[in-house]
Amino acid sequence: MNRATQNLVLPLLGCAVLRISAFSATYLNYVKPGFRPFLVATGVVLVILGVTGLIQASRPGKPSPEEGNGHAQAGSGDGQDMHHAHSEGPDEGTAGEEHGYEGHRHEGHRHEGHRHEGHGHDHSRGPRVAWLLCLPIFAIFLIAPPSLGSFAAARSDTPPPRDQTLTAFTPLTGEGPTDMPISEFIGRAWDDDKKSLTDRRVRLTGFVVPSRRKGQWYVTRMQIACCAADAFPLKVAVKGLKAPPEDTWVEVTGTWIPQTFGKMPNGVVYPELAGTDLVKVATPDEPYE
Amino acid sequence: MPELRTESRSVWDDQDETVPPDSWGRGASRGRSLPWGFALVVVLLVVGRFTLASRLTSPALQTWATVFVAICVQALPFLVFGVTLSAAITAFVPASFWTRALPRRPAAAVPVAGVAGAVLPGCECASVPVASGLMARGVTPAAALAFLLASPAINPVVLVATAVAFPGQPMMVVSRFGASLTVAVLVGWLWLRYGRSEWLRIPARPHGDGRKLARFGEAMRHDLLHAGGFLIVGGLAAATLNVLVPREWLTTIAGVPWLAVPVMALLAVLLSICSEADAFVAASMTAFSPTAKLAFLVVGPMVDLKLIALQAGTFGRAFTVRFVPLTFALAVLVSVLFGLLGFLGRPPL
Repeated sequence: MNRATQNLVLPLLGCAVLRISAFSATYLNYVKPGFRPFLVATGVVLVILGVTGLIQASRPGKPSPEEGNGHAQAGSGDGQDMHHAHSEGPDEGTAGEEHGYEGHRHEGHRHEGHRHEGHGHDHSRGPRVAWLLCLPIFAIFLIAPPSLGSFAAARSDTPPPRDQTLTAFTPLTGEGPTDMPISEFIGRAWDDDKKSLTDRRVRLTGFVVPSRRKGQWYVTRMQIACCAADAFPLKVAVKGLKAPPEDTWVEVTGTWIPQTFGKMPNGVVYPELAGTDLVKVATPDEPYE
Repeated sequence: MPELRTESRSVWDDQDETVPPDSWGRGASRGRSLPWGFALVVVLLVVGRFTLASRLTSPALQTWATVFVAICVQALPFLVFGVTLSAAITAFVPASFWTRALPRRPAAAVPVAGVAGAVLPGCECASVPVASGLMARGVTPAAALAFLLASPAINPVVLVATAVAFPGQPMMVVSRFGASLTVAVLVGWLWLRYGRSEWLRIPARPHGDGRKLARFGEAMRHDLLHAGGFLIVGGLAAATLNVLVPREWLTTIAGVPWLAVPVMALLAVLLSICSEADAFVAASMTAFSPTAKLAFLVVGPMVDLKLIALQAGTFGRAFTVRFVPLTFALAVLVSVLFGLLGFLGRPPL
C-alpha cells in the first residue's frame, strides 16, 4: 500500500463510520445507542489523520519524521523528478546516493526508518494487511448489513437470561393494551409472583420468526449487551393469528396464556400470547432491546 | 464477499510482491506516487454498488456481514483510543518518566504494571497498541505484557459491567479481578524468567527530530493501519464462527462438568467478545457452572481471535505462538483454582 493510498483509505473508513453514525441511524443495527458519540469521534479522527497525512506528504521540504535527515538533503520529491528527467549527466556521487535512498523508500515507504535502525523485522506484511481495512468499507457500502433477523434468531435457541434486577414488577394499570418490551413480557410471564399479566391486553413489537410447531409463530426481538455479536433472541409464541411472512416487523396485541406446568420443564420454552390484532409496522430505528 | 476479497488480494500482489527496479523508485517519489490501489477500491465500490449490491442479500451472508461490521464498529473506537494513547506515550511522554514511575527491578515492575492496568478504561483492542508503545519507550517487556493482560479485564468499566451482569454475586467481580490480575502477573514473571528477547519483536517507533505533533500523527497512522488490519482478520474469524457454530451445542456440553470449563474458555477465544460485554454473555449461559463462567471472563480479555491476530501483527509470530498458549493455560488454571477455593459460593465445577 503506498503512502497516498494509506492516507486515502483511512478517511474512507472514517466516512463509512460517519455515514452509519453521524448521518444515519444505521449504527443501531450493530451497537447500542449510547455508542454514537464514540463512533462520530472515531470517524472524525480517521478523516483528520488521513487529511493531515496527505497535507504532510504533499508539502515539499517538510520531511515526515521517520524519513529523517536523508530527506532534507535530497530535497523535495518534485525537485528530484525534474532532476532525473532533465539532467543527462548528474554528478555520479549524488546520483548514487539518491538512488539508494529512493530505492529504500520504495520498498516500504513508512518502514525504511526501521530498517535503518537495524530492528530487522519483517514489515512487508504490515502495509499489506492494511488492505483489509477496505473490507468493512465494502460491507458497509455494498451489503449495508441490516439488523439481525429471523436467520440469526432461529439459529440460537438458548433460553434468554432472566433479568434478575426486574423481579419487582409494578402492577399494570390503565385502559387498553399496554405496550411493553418483549423482555419485560417474558420477565412478567416467568418471574412475576403476582401474575400481573393475567387478563391484561398487551402489545408487543418485533419481527416474525416461523415456528416448527403448527399453529404458532414467534414475535421476536434480539437483545444485545454491547454489539450484534453477542445478540440473543427474545421470543414470544403467538397463537391464534395467521403467521405473516418471515422477518416482517409487526405489532401484536393479545393476552398472555398462563403456563400450565408448575415448574419450568427442561429445554427451551417460550411464553405464549393469544393474539387478537396484528399490524404491520416499519422496521424501528432501534431494532434491538 | 469472496469475490471482493480476491480482488483486494490481487491488489496486494500488484503493489507489494515485486520489488520494483530502482528506476521506478526515482519516478515514484513522494507526493507523486499515485494511489492506484485506492482508485481501484473506489472503482470497485462504485461498480459494486450498481451490480453487486442488489444480489448480496442472502440471509446467511447478511447475518455474517452484520456480525462482522458490528465487531469492527464496536472495536474501532477502542482501537483508535488505544492508538491515540500509545502515540501520545511515544511522542509526548519522555522515556525517563517510565524509569521513574516503575520500580527499577523488573520483578517488582511486573505487578505494579499489572495493577496500573486498572486505570485504562477500554477493552482489549486498546491495550495492544498501548503495551507496544510502552515497550518502545523502554519499559521492560514483561511489565508491559502484564499491563497488556491486566488492563482489559480489571478496569473499572469492565468491573462495573460484570457487577451489572451478575447482580447479587459480588464474588464474581472480586474473582474476576483477582484471577485476571494473578494471571497477568504470573505471565509477566514467567516471561521475565524464561522469555527471550529474540522472540519478541519490539515495535519500532519513528524516532527522528520531527515536530512532536507530526510524529504523533505518524505514529497513529502507522499503528492504525497495522493494528486495524489485524483487527479485521480477527473480526472475520469471529464473525464466521459466530454464524457457523450453533449455540445449542453448548447447552449439551454444559452438563459435563469437566468439559464445561475448557469449553467455556475455548468459547471465549472463538467468540472474541469485547471485554466490556463478555460478562453479559457469560451471564446468559445459564447452564454453565460459576467456575466455567469465571474461566470465560478471565480468558476472554486475554486470549481471543482478534487479540491473537493483533498480537501477531504487533509483536511477531514467534512471540504469539509462545505467549498465547501460556496465557490460555494459566488463565484456565487460575480460574479453576479460584473456583476450587470456594470464591464463587456454590460447590465448584
